[in-house]
Amino acid sequence: MDLATIEKVVAFIGALIVFAFALVGLKGEWHKNGLDDNVTKVLLGLMAFGCVLVVLACFGVLPKGGGA
Amino acid sequence: MATVAPGVPTGPYHAVLDHIHPEPTSFIRKYIFSIDAKVIGIQYMITGAIFFVIAGLLAEIIRTQLLSPHGAIISAATYNSVYSMHGSAMVWFVVIPLLTGAFGNFVMPMQIGARDVAFPWLNLVAFWIFPVAGVILFSSFLVGAPDAGWTEYPPISLMGPPGTNLWCIAVFLIGVSSTMTGINFLVTMYKMRAPGMTFTRMPLFVWAQLATTPLLFIATTALGAALAALFIERVFGVPFYDPKRGGSPVLWQHMFWFYSHPAVYIMIIPGFGIISEVLPTFARKPIFGYKMIAFSSVAISLLSFSVWAHHMFTSGMVPWLQLPFMIITMVIAIPTGVKIFSWMATLWGGSINWKTPALYATGFLITFTYGGLTGFFLAAVPADYHEHGTYFVVAHFHYVLYGGSIMSMFAGIYYWWPKMTGRMYNEKLGQLQFWLTFIGFNATFTPMHWLGLLGMPRRVATYDPQFTFWNQFATISSYVMALGTVLFFYILFDSFRNGKKAGPNPWGARTLEWMVSSPPPYYNFKKIPAVLAAPYDFGNPLPYLGLDAAPGATEATPTHASHPVPTY
Amino acid sequence: MAVSVASHGHAHDDHGGHDDIIYQETRDMRLMGFVLFLVSDVVLFSSYIFAYIYLRNSIQPTWPPIVNGHQLPRLDTAFAAFNSVVLFGSGVTMHYALENWKHANKRGFNLFMWLTIFLGLGFLGGQGYEYAHAQIGGWNGNIFGASFFTLTGMHGIHVFLGVCFLFALWIQTRLGVYTQDKFFGLTAGTLYWHFVDVIWVVLFFLFYLW
Repeated sequence: MDLATIEKVVAFIGALIVFAFALVGLKGEWHKNGLDDNVTKVLLGLMAFGCVLVVLACFGVLPKGGGA
Repeated sequence: MATVAPGVPTGPYHAVLDHIHPEPTSFIRKYIFSIDAKVIGIQYMITGAIFFVIAGLLAEIIRTQLLSPHGAIISAATYNSVYSMHGSAMVWFVVIPLLTGAFGNFVMPMQIGARDVAFPWLNLVAFWIFPVAGVILFSSFLVGAPDAGWTEYPPISLMGPPGTNLWCIAVFLIGVSSTMTGINFLVTMYKMRAPGMTFTRMPLFVWAQLATTPLLFIATTALGAALAALFIERVFGVPFYDPKRGGSPVLWQHMFWFYSHPAVYIMIIPGFGIISEVLPTFARKPIFGYKMIAFSSVAISLLSFSVWAHHMFTSGMVPWLQLPFMIITMVIAIPTGVKIFSWMATLWGGSINWKTPALYATGFLITFTYGGLTGFFLAAVPADYHEHGTYFVVAHFHYVLYGGSIMSMFAGIYYWWPKMTGRMYNEKLGQLQFWLTFIGFNATFTPMHWLGLLGMPRRVATYDPQFTFWNQFATISSYVMALGTVLFFYILFDSFRNGKKAGPNPWGARTLEWMVSSPPPYYNFKKIPAVLAAPYDFGNPLPYLGLDAAPGATEATPTHASHPVPTY
Repeated sequence: MAVSVASHGHAHDDHGGHDDIIYQETRDMRLMGFVLFLVSDVVLFSSYIFAYIYLRNSIQPTWPPIVNGHQLPRLDTAFAAFNSVVLFGSGVTMHYALENWKHANKRGFNLFMWLTIFLGLGFLGGQGYEYAHAQIGGWNGNIFGASFFTLTGMHGIHVFLGVCFLFALWIQTRLGVYTQDKFFGLTAGTLYWHFVDVIWVVLFFLFYLW
């Protein structure tokens, strides 16, 4: 296995873990209503989206035509 | 919900406003490093006035060079630096700091019934960046001042003198100051209004400052990005704008104008606020269309982010993109027009007290409308092809910036001078100063409309001899304007030495700053008053409860009403 | 005629209640100010993102650009994916650090706070590795390097300042500045860290996945 594949595997596993924890955190914050809580919800959600992007990168779905 | 009298709801009570901190004692903490917004406002005013004089002298150098078609006062290269610095200084170091930092800081906290702004130390830092940045800007003259206009388009700006780097740093720094002020003011106006002051009970000057704050902290940051990119391209060779290396000069124009168009609204909306305060007071009449004026300020502020490319119609942009920019630019004239009509309706039928602030406010209505109309001509793309880069544009923006912003600031200074200093100015001299300025200004800039349409280009040190007469006319008239400015400073100086003592409310106005002594105590209000209505209901009792009685001030109590009467 | 202080109505605990209101109002103002600062920071990044998209879409005929007859290589997506997970992970640990603080769990707070700092430094180290190994002609070589190194460099500076911020906050907790009820600095630090995280989501997409 070359370095790139190791990186992809580790990244994939890490992304799954982080995604799970981000969603758990989001669920915990969901009912709160202050300005900081709402900003936190948005940012946690976007962070979870970032994990989705990492997964897409690991499987070569993005970038189109395969990455390095 | 707190109540101040049986059955009178006034909204949540801001306990944080109760506290009066001890007054500073040392000279340094009172006048140099003060956290009092009123002192900071005056510091902005003094610094801005100094830069106004310097930038005005640069303008007179321009006009003197243009006395003859091939003037030999300065070289063409120096001429380029002179107009570049004149524009840069006026926009960033005079009009914006004065309208936001000076008037905003001095007037706005009192008008919302607060003691200070939300973040006083941030206010102090924001102010002190201003003179430092100004010194950096003007020191560029020592190493070769920037010479590509205040807009510094690449590729010329990439090849410009070393002073261009200092220009980048200076404007970036003052942008940081602006951003801090915008955040500070927005939090202040949102969170620190007196009990009962709902948004629709705020003075219109406060509405204007409120509408300006998003421009300050959103648009200004975009300029900072553009400046930093220009700087690192000049100093480190990082290619953003150089077309030979894959960059794009038009990219600079997009990034620059995305800020600079909202910037011109930063330079006028607070001025609108000043006019909205002066006119009702001197017409002794409620402002006409309070909600329309308030909401139109917000509308203009939001729309201003979407019109930037009307400065770029001749840059080669595709026609289908020019169309929406043209249309929205024309649409922005509508809320502005609403204000002009509302102000005229405010004066109509009023018992007008023709003091100097009223003269300036009325003069503003004429000259700003004029400038707004020529803006409409520029918005039309095919007309702009002919007018872009000519003196028609110079005429337009001087009409809105001098005839608009500066005239509104003259109105504001004459209006609030008694409040700031406790002294009146010489009214006869004030009126003379108005006429010198108004006539001198119009005579200077009106000819530029047809000079531009006849084809005289801007930013050139010489011109075709056919334009000689009107250039000379404009130059002589500009000396009259300069005389007006000199007289202005004399009037202020004279007021310090000989001015009659002003009471708390010489104009008989109704906003909260006139309910305290002149000059105000450092804590503004001993007890924060409660507010029952918007301030413009001339003829009705003052809508405040719980004012502390300053000597000579008329105080409203729940049982006894008072009507402010002008004493000057 | 003083305005009546009728808003909280606790007759017996007037000073405590009054101080609470003052703290809450002050905290609200600071929070609003901090969020507005983050908004202005978003504008800063957006400006350079606009520049990158404009140059790449409108000015450059091919991407990566062709320099001296050769097309520049794409960046290392696999490594960046790994580094991204490090940063996103630090966002999650920061969230749990704050949660632990709110529940007065000092040991949990310390653990997650240091994990966050450690992961943040790890991300920066990863960026250093990326910068050393990128074959795109350097910061001032061409438009690819200009936009990539400027944007990610700005982001890296934000991460570095964030690490310093978090470290300073941790020192403050050791000095007893914050209590279980009053910890605005920690809230601000958490928001800032999440913000830096989310900016990276956008940059990762723009430079590695597009």
